Amino acid sequence: MNIEVRDLHFVYPTGFEALKGISISIGAGEQVALVGQNGAGKTTLVRHFNGLLRPASGSVFIGDWDAARCSVAKLASRVGYVFQNPDEQLFSRDVGTEVRFGPRNLGYPKEKADGLVERALSLTGLTDKVEINPYDLSPTWRKMVALASVIAMDTPVVIFDEPTTGQDAATIARIAHVIAELHALGRTVITITHDIDFCAENFDRVIALSNGQVLLDGPAGEVLGQEEILARTYVEPPQLTRLGKRLGFKETVRNQEEFLAVVARSAR
Amino acid sequence: MHERLSFHIKRDSALHRLNPLTKIFLVLALILVAFLNPWYWTPHLLVLIAITPLSLLARVGAEYFRAAARLILPAVGFLFLMQAFFQPVGEEILFQFYFLDVTRESLMFAFSNAMRIFVMVSAFTLFLLTTHPSELMSDLTRRGLPGQFSYVIISTLQILPQIQARAQTTIAAQRSRGLETEGHFIKRAGSLIPLVGPLVLGSLVEVEERAIAIEARGFTSKSLKTSLHDIPDSSIDKALRWALAVIAILSITLKLWLS
Ligand SMILES: Nc1ncnc2c1ncn2[C@@H]1O[C@H](COP(=O)(O)OP(=O)(O)O)[C@@H](O)[C@H]1O
Ligand SMILES: [Mg+2]
Repeated sequence: MNIEVRDLHFVYPTGFEALKGISISIGAGEQVALVGQNGAGKTTLVRHFNGLLRPASGSVFIGDWDAARCSVAKLASRVGYVFQNPDEQLFSRDVGTEVRFGPRNLGYPKEKADGLVERALSLTGLTDKVEINPYDLSPTWRKMVALASVIAMDTPVVIFDEPTTGQDAATIARIAHVIAELHALGRTVITITHDIDFCAENFDRVIALSNGQVLLDGPAGEVLGQEEILARTYVEPPQLTRLGKRLGFKETVRNQEEFLAVVARSAR
Repeated sequence: MHERLSFHIKRDSALHRLNPLTKIFLVLALILVAFLNPWYWTPHLLVLIAITPLSLLARVGAEYFRAAARLILPAVGFLFLMQAFFQPVGEEILFQFYFLDVTRESLMFAFSNAMRIFVMVSAFTLFLLTTHPSELMSDLTRRGLPGQFSYVIISTLQILPQIQARAQTTIAAQRSRGLETEGHFIKRAGSLIPLVGPLVLGSLVEVEERAIAIEARGFTSKSLKTSLHDIPDSSIDKALRWALAVIAILSITLKLWLS
């Protein structure tokens, strides 16, 4: 499912122009990371993909649907959105009901819905917590419930809004695993993150936003190498990328494997 | 989330700049005059020479007129009808409606009563539009009102807008997961049921968290507290309060004298 954003502008009721002409195109099955300083407009942008916000001008297409003309509920069958703040997303009595809410609304047959819920719970490590009230879980686990409740909807596009913020290493690894699974299934994954190492390790494409505009957009290797431009939106390239640069590597390295590969080559 | 936590509209105007206590005096004086002055046309005149000019002076004319048209007028109109029909006074019957007689006296009485209520509610509305609740409470606390009392008032004033904001986020979350809330009335009503639990629970959790937060800042401490916000109380305020107090006392004496 393609996402086409053309010259998108958005103004909040306060009069603040949060998006100032965004044009991007995201192909089916792409793994995209969205980075940029706080207030750059990342959340505002992705809320247009599932219709929670409507363009002031410009357009957003999800496949052949014009997002401005579809109800949020209809778009939910194509775009799953995990809120930045799980407390704004969860409302059910127990984890099981919460995760089942989406698939039930999308009208999947019972066996399929059961299967999807099962898979979402096991991917997020929640299988033994189905009967717990989400509010009795710690904030980090609540975030996993929010994640599970969206991936259970089995939408072609999945958006994560800062999934790794405040999470420990084990949970971050679990989120990376979820993203890899979705990738294997051919889903488009768009993730907003401040965790630049997470970004470098899990995504092919990086879009940097700054003040409601696209600052950089391209393959992760290219974008993360642009230290000066990224600094404008207060993003620092990953440590290994910077180290590689300082060591005079010709290419931009993003993660341990790439770094070690260059070292191994130069040692020979 | 940018929530609206009160009716207050932030503008710069003479009325906004007045000390909250002065505005309370103003509201009370208007109410006393409207209810106690013996002249029939006093409340009507007050709307013309006090309420309307004040709303314009405060630069909240549009908001005030909207509130008046949507809320105050319908409520006051209802009161007027009730009193016009069910007030068993007067001889001169203007018309009959089934078994109900409408007399000239009952009509006059209902009209002036309705206008009095209109003045009272309007005065309060203008007060709420131009005074931030926390400014009001800081000022009253500084003048000796117990902190617990301010806390109860403030949290009561904020409950409705808070619940409203919460309901909106939850509805957004449900729509994002495929719940159709546009259109079908039954479905929409049904979608509100799962809202009730989290709303109540969430509000309770918030109350507890807030209590802990304010206690951590020494809420029940007995020592004298200073305020970060300096709420102006000029000599104009003091003069105005005296003048308004005199007007209020005059209204009361006049009433007592005439009765
Ligand atoms: N409901 C709102 N009303 C007014 N302004 C808002 C609202 N939500 C966000 N903003 C403003 O829009 C800008 C972009 O916000 P957001 O998209 O949440 O940024 P990000 O997710 O990149 O941190 C910020 O400056 C923020 O203050
Ligand atoms: Mg955000």
